[in-house]
Amino acid sequence: MKTVINEQQRRNFVGEVESKLHDKLAKCYQCGKCSAGCPVNFEMDYTPNQIIKMTELGMIDNVLNSKTIWLCVSCNTCSTRCPKGFEVAGIMDVLREVAARKGIKSKTEKEIQTFHEVFLDNVKSNGRIFELELVGKYKLKTKHLFRDMFLAPKMIEKGKLKMHSDKVSNISQIAKIFKDFE
Amino acid sequence: MKLAYYPGCSLKGTSFEYEVSLLKVLEALNIEIQEIPDWNCCGASAAHNLNHNLSVALPARNLAIAENSGFEEVLAPCAACSSRLKTAKYEMAADNILKKRITDSLEMPYNNSLNISNMLEFLLNIAGKEKIKSLVKKPLSGLKVASYYGCLLVRPPKVMQFDDAEKPVSMDELVALTDAVPVDYSYKTECCGAINSLSKPDVVMALTGKILYDMKEHGADLVVVACPLCHSNLDVRQREIERKYAEKIGLPVLFITELLGLSFGFSPKELAIDGHMVNADKVLEKIL
Repeated sequence: MKTVINEQQRRNFVGEVESKLHDKLAKCYQCGKCSAGCPVNFEMDYTPNQIIKMTELGMIDNVLNSKTIWLCVSCNTCSTRCPKGFEVAGIMDVLREVAARKGIKSKTEKEIQTFHEVFLDNVKSNGRIFELELVGKYKLKTKHLFRDMFLAPKMIEKGKLKMHSDKVSNISQIAKIFKDFE
Repeated sequence: MKLAYYPGCSLKGTSFEYEVSLLKVLEALNIEIQEIPDWNCCGASAAHNLNHNLSVALPARNLAIAENSGFEEVLAPCAACSSRLKTAKYEMAADNILKKRITDSLEMPYNNSLNISNMLEFLLNIAGKEKIKSLVKKPLSGLKVASYYGCLLVRPPKVMQFDDAEKPVSMDELVALTDAVPVDYSYKTECCGAINSLSKPDVVMALTGKILYDMKEHGADLVVVACPLCHSNLDVRQREIERKYAEKIGLPVLFITELLGLSFGFSPKELAIDGHMVNADKVLEKIL
């Protein structure tokens, strides 16, 4: 893999990541313990310790377009086991947020990214999650209309799928939170 | 002490069984809880995946409302909710600038004084083992129970401050109080795939399958959890996992409050155990 790195861009990127992370990339000494314990490592294109080193080296496009950042489920096994106490799960949050703010849409893991976006939209409009609406909108957006549909009849029979949901009464306060922090 | 209850979205929807059973159990224990007025979603995984500040601000609104209503303690039975509430508290204690931005936005004073408990902490610290034990009328003798903790009850330990992050025992201790036998197995804290259930079902089934087959191998009759998302992956996806790996599992998945409720003498119906996808009748026949 050949990557040309612009030193100024590298410094800016590292600075942005470290300030959001409240941690130093140089702490990581590449022991790989994070990657060994990661439950989803088998699906990733780069292991978590590779992502940390690539971020430090300024391989911005590779990192922000990686499958890894979206596949990470934030189980925190990595951060818990890191002998240096580095925020491994934290860096995945930071990189996802940086990617999303740059308008990067994951090509390989767009379902995961879309699910998070639809989920937050649901919180924004109702204050709480209305599961049926969440699933419906997610399915429309990803066009996976029939996947998992076989579960629906039994879930309805069991009373698991509610046909309505209570909204937050003070919805303007929720709107304000989104306005102030989105 | 006034005890606040933060149900979260799942307990009002797909995991209604958790709410039904915990209300029964706490009533039997004579512990009064009150829902936080006009609570909102904690933002769950989506908020911290996309926007750090929002992931603190959304749970902070609930904490601020609870604190201003005179509560000192919050019960958040959903492991994801309790993790987000605890994280918000942790982040605001560490970052004064963010805390000020949030209180300014909410237009509410907030001292970050509340104690937040997950379901297991609440049962062990507020009710206590002795009181729970004293209510066991129907011992679940001989029933082999695998306690599944998943990720968010114990990790990251510096924020959750609960049990051991690699080998937790608190749920097993609650199981033992009912006279059931706690099962030791390998994947107590291995991730089930969590929120990616809809967006990455194959990965979730691989992870969840590994956990379920391991419990089965170690002789479990049933599984207990204290997280709606763990429950959903282990229960709702179980039939599909059996089909995918062509091997029967047949492990009913109960919330810890349902297991305690059974030992207190409530019927499966009263605890909404019939709301689960994997039928528990056959296993429960042995003890009821």
